[in-house]
Amino acid sequence: MSEPDIIIVGAGPGGLAAAIAASRTGLKVEVIEQRHAPGGAIYRQPVDGVEPVPQAAAAKRRWQSLSTRFAESGVPVRTHSVFLGIDGDGTFLIDDRDRGKLDRLQPRGVIIATGAVEKVYPRPGWHLAGVSTVGGLQVMMKETGRAPQGRILLAGGGPLLIAVAAQMARLGNPPVAIVEAGDPAKELAAGLQILISPGLFAEAFSYLRTVYRHGVPWLRGHRLVSIKREGQDLAAVIEDRKGSRRRILADRIGLHDGIRPNDFGMPPETTVNRAAPFVIHAGDCREALGAVAAEADGERAGRMMAGLLAHGRHEINELEELVARNRRSQAVLARIFAPVQSGSLLDGLTDETILCRCEGRTVGDLRQLCSRPDPLTGREIKHNGRFAMGACQGRFCAANTAALMARLRPDIPAPAPGDLIGRRWPARPVSIGTLVGVPPHAEGQDEVLR
Amino acid sequence: MRSSIPQTAIVIGSGIVGAAIAYFLTRRGIRVQLLEASAPAAEATGAADGAVSVASKRPGPMMVAAIAGVALYRELEHEGLFAGLFKSRSTFIVATSDEECAVLEAHADALEQAGVRIERLTGGALFEVLPALSPSTRLAVQVHGEGHAIGYQIVHRLLTAAGIVVDRHTPVNALLRDANGRALGVETHKGQIKADVVVIAAGTGSATLLGLADILIPRKGQLLVTERAPRLNAAFAGSIMSGRYLMSKGNRKPGAPTPARGLGLVIDPLVTGQFLIGGTREDHGDRRTNDIGAVSQILADAVALVPQLVHVRLLRSFAGNRTAVLDGLPLIGRVPGLDNAFVATGFEGDGICLGPIVGRTVAELVCGEAPSIDLVPFDPARFKSGMVAA
Repeated sequence: MSEPDIIIVGAGPGGLAAAIAASRTGLKVEVIEQRHAPGGAIYRQPVDGVEPVPQAAAAKRRWQSLSTRFAESGVPVRTHSVFLGIDGDGTFLIDDRDRGKLDRLQPRGVIIATGAVEKVYPRPGWHLAGVSTVGGLQVMMKETGRAPQGRILLAGGGPLLIAVAAQMARLGNPPVAIVEAGDPAKELAAGLQILISPGLFAEAFSYLRTVYRHGVPWLRGHRLVSIKREGQDLAAVIEDRKGSRRRILADRIGLHDGIRPNDFGMPPETTVNRAAPFVIHAGDCREALGAVAAEADGERAGRMMAGLLAHGRHEINELEELVARNRRSQAVLARIFAPVQSGSLLDGLTDETILCRCEGRTVGDLRQLCSRPDPLTGREIKHNGRFAMGACQGRFCAANTAALMARLRPDIPAPAPGDLIGRRWPARPVSIGTLVGVPPHAEGQDEVLR
Repeated sequence: MRSSIPQTAIVIGSGIVGAAIAYFLTRRGIRVQLLEASAPAAEATGAADGAVSVASKRPGPMMVAAIAGVALYRELEHEGLFAGLFKSRSTFIVATSDEECAVLEAHADALEQAGVRIERLTGGALFEVLPALSPSTRLAVQVHGEGHAIGYQIVHRLLTAAGIVVDRHTPVNALLRDANGRALGVETHKGQIKADVVVIAAGTGSATLLGLADILIPRKGQLLVTERAPRLNAAFAGSIMSGRYLMSKGNRKPGAPTPARGLGLVIDPLVTGQFLIGGTREDHGDRRTNDIGAVSQILADAVALVPQLVHVRLLRSFAGNRTAVLDGLPLIGRVPGLDNAFVATGFEGDGICLGPIVGRTVAELVCGEAPSIDLVPFDPARFKSGMVAA
């Protein structure tokens, strides 16, 4: 098999659209995907033998069209394959987890389409067992076809809370409440503007109807300020816009404060000619604007890459317009869901609040480092505070650490999360056995503490 | 020799050597301005393996200096300055072939002659102490009383203790000097800064200040960090060093050319339960990237020594440039032709071990006291031809 000209990392809407566009020019394209099937987080496919979770009609249509066009393109997908990075010699590294083997490729172009990750602000108790992200609960539902069991509380902000609540309700276990920082019902004028993208409106309306029908309390203008374990229960403290507090008991809590590009440890974009491959970012990992924009942006990236490699012209104006339209819709959504209460959750955190879950580093540890007379760089904070040094490689803490640093030291330029994470490979932890050509054994796994 | 203690000093470079010099000068009541081209521990100190170790030093002045270096770590840990930052452990140098055994035996003799406490382990005793080692291991030499420290943590501690606010992003363009062989201060983009003495501890950056571009060589090293593997980590009585390291580090036959890429394996169990595995010595330019060829070679060697590592995951790779000197010995002492300017650089892979002792010794030199270690072998005047062209 000859080596691909272009490798696309991630088989969500951005990656698949990029693959379709790039393959039209006759270049050899391949997609690598860490999960068992294409789809990404938005069109996550169930594992074998499981009924798919009910989805909004518009989303279903989009996936049908995209997956059909992708199948017609004939572009192969390597599943269970994790992109580790591009090494110092320009070699593209893949962790083939099915075979426990490292693949080294020399593509001429790489499109990074690794989607978005959820933003979750730290809160006292957010690291406790039973607390996860709302998106994590949704992925589990999509893969298993079942709602999470027990009393589930969803908290944070944004349209995903409603969507997941509706999906849970349709699967027979609606959440005990939705704690929403914004007050979308009040933002009527903005709400009308969302009509500029009717698809979004229909989806939102159908989810809201389901949530309403199941009588799920939608606590707008509220925020979850802390979580405690009390016996078998997780006790969440909820604060309303006047500052009065109450407790809600749950078995599991999902948190979600928005999304951001999943570009952790990814090689930066480069479209100048050099020994290493061209790199273009596409879709949510470039700018988190949702599935519709990701598909358009993927097509843009695919055409651009084909143009770079074939030295041909590429027409991307209409795609950039489509992305811009989605950017405007997302801005409207952000306004609708803007937190009602002033002041960031980051400001009121107790010193004991965990910031980095892997290494157990706290808000107090960061405050202490930031109280020195000389302002430390992101790298020094990382080294001396051990932030972004754990097994998650900074995925959970880097953005929060950078944001909190910016608030603690407004006198110095704020570090980017990437300054804390760095851009060294492996982008994901990889078995040493894989790197030296010894397939992994089942035993020995218990050796590893997460 | 100057007998009066200067009041002010400029130290150029806030790696471990510069930070230690600044600390010991401050302790003597000297007002120190610490100038840094980027940020503290941003270069070799921040990418070092952290060995505080005599085990691999060549017999001679480096071995003697390292013995003093390790002793000072213990002293400063006891004193409280390095509390919690110095992990006491043995180094086990292991040999798996006839050639390695021969080199290791000779090296063990040299260590003993220098007064280092060692033990030779073979057969059952070897695997009792080091159960994780591959059965093909033939000989291990346990070097007692060594340790591990993380360079950037030591720098942070030294600067904090000295109360020094580092002038970050302040590269020095040139030394200022008068006609009588005295340094007046330095020239930076922020203007001239004057002081009674100037100390250069700027690693590879020292080359341009002193006209030593042909003598100071950036020597790249690649290092790896695993995830936490506490059970395997607990089975390590100390760090494991391949006997081949000795061959890559200077026990080569005289006249043999330096290979473009040397590989000396050290597996160090960290207090976090992780392992630090390294590394390479590479003489090709100033690149700081990791390549799969080197990484998989390091790991293959590591797995050959400790087979269970195959189950552990690699978390990070990193690389940095050590500053090496053409003749393999650091430059420590007075800058030839300048009464009140000093240099301390070129420690290659030994900066973490030697940084504090060199800091103390340079402070002694600056203040006209008797130096803690013999600096004659490291006298910069041996490269007089290149020194201070400015």
